[in-house]
Amino acid sequence: MSFDRRRFNQTLAAATISSLAPFGIVRAQSSKLKVGVLLPRSGVQGFIGQSCQKGADLAPAVLREMLGVDIELMNADTESNVDTARTRAERLIQEGAHVLVGAFDSGQTAAIAQVAEQRGVPLVVNVAAAPQITEQGYKFVFRNFQTAIDLVRNGLDLIGDLFLATHTVPRTAVYMHVNDTFGQAMTRGIGALLPRRTQLPFKIVDTISYDPAARDLTVEISKAKASGADFLLLVCRLNDGILLRREMVKQRWNPMGIISPGSPGMYEEQYFKTLGKYSDYSISNVPWYNPKAPLTKIVEKAFLKQNPKDKMVFHALNVGFTFEALLVAADAYKRARSTDPKTLADAIRQTNITSKMTLGAPIKFNAKGQVEGIDSACVQNFGGIPRVVLPAAAAETKPVFPAPYFKKT
Amino acid sequence: MNRRAAVLLAILALLLAALPAFAGNYLLSVATLILYLAFVGQAWNVMMGFAGQLSLGHSLYVGVAAYVAGGLFFHFGIGPWAGLWLAMLACVLLGAAIGFLAFRFGISGVYFALLTIAFAEFTRIGFDHLRWTGGPGGMFLKVAQRDQIDLAHFRGPPEMYYYAMLAFAAGALALCAWLLRSRAGYYWQAIRENEEAAQALGINTFRWKMVAVMISAAMTSVAGVFFAFYYNNIFPEQIFHISRSIEIILGPIIGGVGTLFGPIVGAALLTLLGDGITELLAYYDWEIPGVKQVFYGVVLLAVIVFRPNGIWPALARRLGLCK
Repeated sequence: MSFDRRRFNQTLAAATISSLAPFGIVRAQSSKLKVGVLLPRSGVQGFIGQSCQKGADLAPAVLREMLGVDIELMNADTESNVDTARTRAERLIQEGAHVLVGAFDSGQTAAIAQVAEQRGVPLVVNVAAAPQITEQGYKFVFRNFQTAIDLVRNGLDLIGDLFLATHTVPRTAVYMHVNDTFGQAMTRGIGALLPRRTQLPFKIVDTISYDPAARDLTVEISKAKASGADFLLLVCRLNDGILLRREMVKQRWNPMGIISPGSPGMYEEQYFKTLGKYSDYSISNVPWYNPKAPLTKIVEKAFLKQNPKDKMVFHALNVGFTFEALLVAADAYKRARSTDPKTLADAIRQTNITSKMTLGAPIKFNAKGQVEGIDSACVQNFGGIPRVVLPAAAAETKPVFPAPYFKKT
Repeated sequence: MNRRAAVLLAILALLLAALPAFAGNYLLSVATLILYLAFVGQAWNVMMGFAGQLSLGHSLYVGVAAYVAGGLFFHFGIGPWAGLWLAMLACVLLGAAIGFLAFRFGISGVYFALLTIAFAEFTRIGFDHLRWTGGPGGMFLKVAQRDQIDLAHFRGPPEMYYYAMLAFAAGALALCAWLLRSRAGYYWQAIRENEEAAQALGINTFRWKMVAVMISAAMTSVAGVFFAFYYNNIFPEQIFHISRSIEIILGPIIGGVGTLFGPIVGAALLTLLGDGITELLAYYDWEIPGVKQVFYGVVLLAVIVFRPNGIWPALARRLGLCK
């Protein structure tokens, strides 16, 4: 690219405008609802942030069609960093964002929440499970996502539903979990909730933790196999999930099934691509969209238009909850007929969205700004696609448990 | 410091003091971040720049101090100013333990750096399992409405945090300037240049290296307490992570290791560069994730190749600030 005088002047002008903007000298005017979308699109969480971004990108067209409101996205990358999340939030508000949406990670979301609260701009959390985010007494923070404890509770309840639906009564489980922040938190939740779930017929005969960066799980799988447990209760992430399933095949360990009470990994595209037929029958109980909901069909159509080579089912959680966060903002804007942040926050408090995409009760915020009654789905892999098998009302197919590969040891 | 340097420093101080009057909240948050990085860079510089002891685990002191002061506030309502002293004590003891282990048994250079990483890492794992601090789910300090300044609890508007960080950074600069010209400073520089020679001259290298580690740990603990009360949430994964240690050392390395103004110049350059690239990419609608990091990396590479001693020494010469 040649860098002539004109080009140089353009760049200089751009740099000048950029440097003046923080002083409030340059301000754009717009009658649209400006939504600042903060997501970790680069850094360690970059892959998930980009997945969430797909849900945000399709929202303006869908919401214009649905509600007749115009929204303008102001995207910002938090770089998976709490410092950047905070400064980006300040920047978006200074540039005129009326509402903020984000930010997938609890730490980054908490940092943004403080800025939003202090500046009186509503923040609609798309994904972040730390319960404390809506326990701080904030007036401008709203969350349409399960808290960590709800995630485990729903995940365990769905295991009971699965056994009922398949008329099976496994007596023992071996619990394996990745030994990182997420795995520890899930383990603590399971430890607290499982003893109280009397409807669950099984007991955990062994608990095996492993390093998230493990390259070999031979010993762990041997140990799990030796436990003679009926099924594997698994809290994993993507790479270790793949490694673990491969090792199970290698060691010919075929329990009744693999069930995750609420972790990522086994419903992700890479899991299917890497494992092929061995990815089938793995079960994940996670927040999901309702495949039968009319809104899901609309969003899926828009998704395929924007991403013709992609499948929305591989971004289900991220697209579903990010889109709904924007839906909350647009719905409030429609009712409030104002872009004034305080009026918008009042309107968000009155939200009652019954026609929604994700599973569970209508989107209705309680006094703390939390939506209650968000459900998880039991998602089972069939033919390289994760499919909802429970709850029955949203099921695309019937659950298969024990898996056909099951051999009693 | 010559006359020109004194005038420039006074102008800079005036500009920084007046910044909240004309800067928006965004610029103020960026400036606070620069001052924070300049401060921790200055603290790290005492150990590496002055005494020649490479630490790659300074996030340890930030994290421990944040958790000590944050935990005391969260559980017992003890304010940050009291918590600061306990946090500082905890960090000094930790620094002393690391220093003793390393210097007593002759661990130095990259092995010392590995030891500092190891301490940060196993402390992270420890905090992941510590229920008192919320474990991996993190600790969230209660956030109050921040319209009014409550200095006792370190609660207030962004301007308060900015001025606090400005005061800390100025204090660190003054302390480092004094240290560098004190007997300790000369001993450290002798140890940095040639430890055997320093020992042969009668300098108790063990003692003075320990002093450097403890001062550096104490200074870094102030940044940790600030972090806890500025962000109000602390996660082991986030605060003890090696990327935070790298973030601390990048400023002084780019600015000039062992110099007084290097950490400040480095922190300003890196933060403004990061934000400037973001702004420029946004202006051209280049929404490609990761492009910023590539640009950032290229610029850092250029600085390291063309200014291996950092930017500040060359800049000081160019501005005629050297005696």
